[in-house]
Amino acid sequence: MSSPEWTDDELLRELRAALQESTVEESVIQAAQAAFTWRTVDTELELLSLAAGAALTEGGRAEEDTLTKDTLAEGALVRGGGQSAPRTLVFHGERLSVEVEIDEAGIVGQLMPPRPGVVTLVTAAGPQATAQADEVGCFTFPPPRSGPLRLDCRLGADHFITDWVTV
Amino acid sequence: MAGMSEVSRLVRASASGSEAAWNELVRRYSPLVMAVTRGYRLTAADAQDVSQTVWLRLVEHMAGLREPEALPGWLVTTTQRECGRQIRQGRRVQPVDPGADTCLQQCVAADPDADILRAELRQALREGLRELPARDQRLLRLRAADPPKSYLQISQLTGMPLGSIGPTLRRSLDRLRETCAMRAYLAAVPAASGGEGGDQHEFARVD
Repeated sequence: MSSPEWTDDELLRELRAALQESTVEESVIQAAQAAFTWRTVDTELELLSLAAGAALTEGGRAEEDTLTKDTLAEGALVRGGGQSAPRTLVFHGERLSVEVEIDEAGIVGQLMPPRPGVVTLVTAAGPQATAQADEVGCFTFPPPRSGPLRLDCRLGADHFITDWVTV
Repeated sequence: MAGMSEVSRLVRASASGSEAAWNELVRRYSPLVMAVTRGYRLTAADAQDVSQTVWLRLVEHMAGLREPEALPGWLVTTTQRECGRQIRQGRRVQPVDPGADTCLQQCVAADPDADILRAELRQALREGLRELPARDQRLLRLRAADPPKSYLQISQLTGMPLGSIGPTLRRSLDRLRETCAMRAYLAAVPAASGGEGGDQHEFARVD
């Protein structure tokens, strides 16, 4: 294997920086450790994944799987704007997808293909609210508190759950 | 080099239900996740939300992680995506004083790829340090302290003869370069990141 040409001084300097940034607030560590309680062993539960499919940006374009420099630049422009645009997220599974639009007014979502069902909004603290998806699969929730959330969808005997996403 | 690496062991144990392994995994890799969020200038609260989302997601994906060795890369990519989503909301970002803030300049001008490589390198250095014998770790920690301990202070603290500190330190650094964590980092770094790019690329360079 090739070896990088770091001098001893460079390596020590970087090690110093590495050790300095190794301190993370205990509250952050504990919140992350608490995530373990969400470990699901329910094999009947189908995970609807955000990462596997395309997530739509507010412009309706498919977001690339990895963050590119372009999206970062776009982010830099948006930062100056200060207004909030609705975010569209799509969670994909083999038998069900869930499209969700989130803005200050709340969450509007639709089960695809359209089917009625029961959707529960879940945060790291547990289930927060339940909504009935109507005949065309539409459901709404009031604006969520910021933080991680996911949707639990029960359609008859079928049970789906989305990836976690930060809002 | 034989056997399972520490990160693989922790990932596998966590996936099969060991909370202790999970807690250790979080403690070791949280600095990497938080280092990536720093590049996006999120508020502290948003950075914490992103961190929590990333770990929540890992809980569900770790059983399917084909190569536990790839965990640092998975964490970096997932954190980047979540930070990107936060930024595109266009709110809840840290206020900036454009006149005085050198961080703004850094944020706009810095090469995000180089920042990520640097975050991964630092994680590899922290992991590599853990692999070393206690004697090497102690010497390197003293020398990497801020401010660094002088040879004289190190000699007083460790009882090592003054003349042997320099050569021992060099051997310790060589062993650090050869650790599994550092080798894994170098193997994962894309060759395209080589070349001269000034200070930002200084540590992203490979032959």
